[in-house]
Amino acid sequence: MSRLTYVEALVAGIRDEMRRDPDVFFMGQDVGPMGGAMGGAMGLYQEFGPRRVRDTPISESAMVGAAVGAALVGKRPIVEISFGEFLPTCMNQIVLQAANLHYMTAGVASVPLVLRTRIGDGPYRGHPQCYEAWFAHVPGLRVVMPSTPQDAKGMMVAAIRDPNPVLFFEHMFLYHAVRDDVPEGDYTTPLDRAFVRREGRDVTVAATGWMVHRALSVAEGLAGEGIEVEVVDLAALAPLDRATLTESVKKTARLVVAHEAWKVGGFGAEVASEVAETCFYDLDAPIVRVGAPQAPVPVSKPLRDLFLPNEGDVLAAVRRVLAA
Amino acid sequence: MGSFYGLREDDVIAAHYRGPFIAYYMRGADLSRLVGQALGKATGYAQGRALGFTGPVERHILPWVAGDLGTSLGVAVGAALGLQYEGSERVAVVTFGDGTSNRGDFHEAVNLAAVWKLPVVFVCQHNQYSISLHASQVLAGGSVAARAAGYGIPGLAVDGNDVLAVQGAVGAAVGRARGGEGPSLIEALTYRLGGHWAADPGGYRREAELQEWRARDPIPRLEGALRAAGEVDQGAVERLWEGARAEVAAAVSAAQAAPEPDVAALGLDEALAR
Ligand SMILES: Cc1ncc(C[n+]2csc(CCOP(=O)(O)OP(=O)(O)O)c2C)c(N)n1
Ligand SMILES: [Mg+2]
Repeated sequence: MSRLTYVEALVAGIRDEMRRDPDVFFMGQDVGPMGGAMGGAMGLYQEFGPRRVRDTPISESAMVGAAVGAALVGKRPIVEISFGEFLPTCMNQIVLQAANLHYMTAGVASVPLVLRTRIGDGPYRGHPQCYEAWFAHVPGLRVVMPSTPQDAKGMMVAAIRDPNPVLFFEHMFLYHAVRDDVPEGDYTTPLDRAFVRREGRDVTVAATGWMVHRALSVAEGLAGEGIEVEVVDLAALAPLDRATLTESVKKTARLVVAHEAWKVGGFGAEVASEVAETCFYDLDAPIVRVGAPQAPVPVSKPLRDLFLPNEGDVLAAVRRVLAA
Repeated sequence: MGSFYGLREDDVIAAHYRGPFIAYYMRGADLSRLVGQALGKATGYAQGRALGFTGPVERHILPWVAGDLGTSLGVAVGAALGLQYEGSERVAVVTFGDGTSNRGDFHEAVNLAAVWKLPVVFVCQHNQYSISLHASQVLAGGSVAARAAGYGIPGLAVDGNDVLAVQGAVGAAVGRARGGEGPSLIEALTYRLGGHWAADPGGYRREAELQEWRARDPIPRLEGALRAAGEVDQGAVERLWEGARAEVAAAVSAAQAAPEPDVAALGLDEALAR
């Protein structure tokens, strides 16, 4: 075990796989000597050199296209889009190429690539957009969002080994904010599992990213009142671990879904629908979703703080489902 | 500054995010509101909603509202389309970075402007870097101006640290655009003396290179040129500096004293126009 931050764990995952498999290479903007945005590629260039750690022009569509093509000829590219805000610039390559290739070639072709990107409100407030729901909508993509250092590494390793295109969403707030024990050797975290982070019998909070930590903190607070909150970390959005989710709801009979992305059409809508479809009669209260309001994410800190869902919103939602 | 000097007040401008305030200021924007915007204050033109790079839209400034590079070129081309469509002699001028000329958006925008002969001038603020990457690592062919040839429009490289040279080149291109002769692409070679962001640890540039470019600072050069031409004397230059410093200091303290945006600026029902 070593104590690693979330970002150190991500880099450790990439490094270990690059050591293990010569077909793995990494490309992105400023990922070379500079060490990547927010230190997200620190030390990789120094260890692996310019053939395997490649600085790219500001050409996102070509970068993802290049990853798709390299994957088609048997390489294992990791391509970094510095921030999730720029995903629209390479949408065609992700949605039309990467996602379709395996199915449309009758299962002959496969695209083992990892597209990593940074999302969410972070220390420097730039590029906070959370577009993960768009990709969970598209068949043929895996979409993951680890919330702990241990999973950051384990899911990165699993994503690199996986034969599919994996969209890997890294939360910027978590980058340096959480530090945890991370196993040193070879291990993977499954890419299709949700994790019960805290058990409870009164209400389930299903959350992603930073919201998992906020839900845990709300759960801690409510424990003092004798309320037991079960926190489910939806670390994999696509495919979603529907069994863990519904099992939890069947136990607690109450559900809150929380994410930082916009509430309307957000991934929480899929989670709520799944539960409504499969365990409606187990519910004792209407489902409550927590997400951002229906406006672009404002930049100024006071506005951002008013805008984004926070611990208070999670707490209020939990109280609402308990009161119903 | 050279890119936006001498335009008509109703020409449309779309400034690169690096240094847009000077362009907005020349358009009559309130300096303390611009500083307020950089600080995220309620007095900023976007009331704290957008990045600090935007300006007063009513002064024919295309607003900067997203973090992605390259899309502003397409928008400027669209503004030029609107101007051509209405049969006016107005033009659009858009500035952008050398790194941004590697986006597909750049190529699509220039091609469209060229085939439709739109009244737009593309000015590349070629400071040789996109963050830590030198143009030699990422910009094939080595020249942004040369890319114009592929689209059959004039491409001109100028010394970007010579304000008058930039103004001359852009002025000529604006004249062409106004006369219905279509777009031009100008590459103004310059340098970023500071970090990419405030806490940029650097390390990707040699000190000698920095020194060399410090010596080519465009501001003392313009001052020298104006003095040599007998336009200003030492006293006048000092008075200009004093005036500018006082104005900036006043704008900064006004901006610092301005209120933070509150719930009134949030506008959660304003994503759609009514
Ligand atoms: C589409 C897109 N990709 C990446 C970025 C991240 N980014 C912000 S500034 C920058 C460098 C831009 O270089 P250049 O266009 O030369 O402008 P400069 O900063 O040098 O003025 C990059 C890569 C971005 N904002 N948008
Ligand atoms: Mg540049």
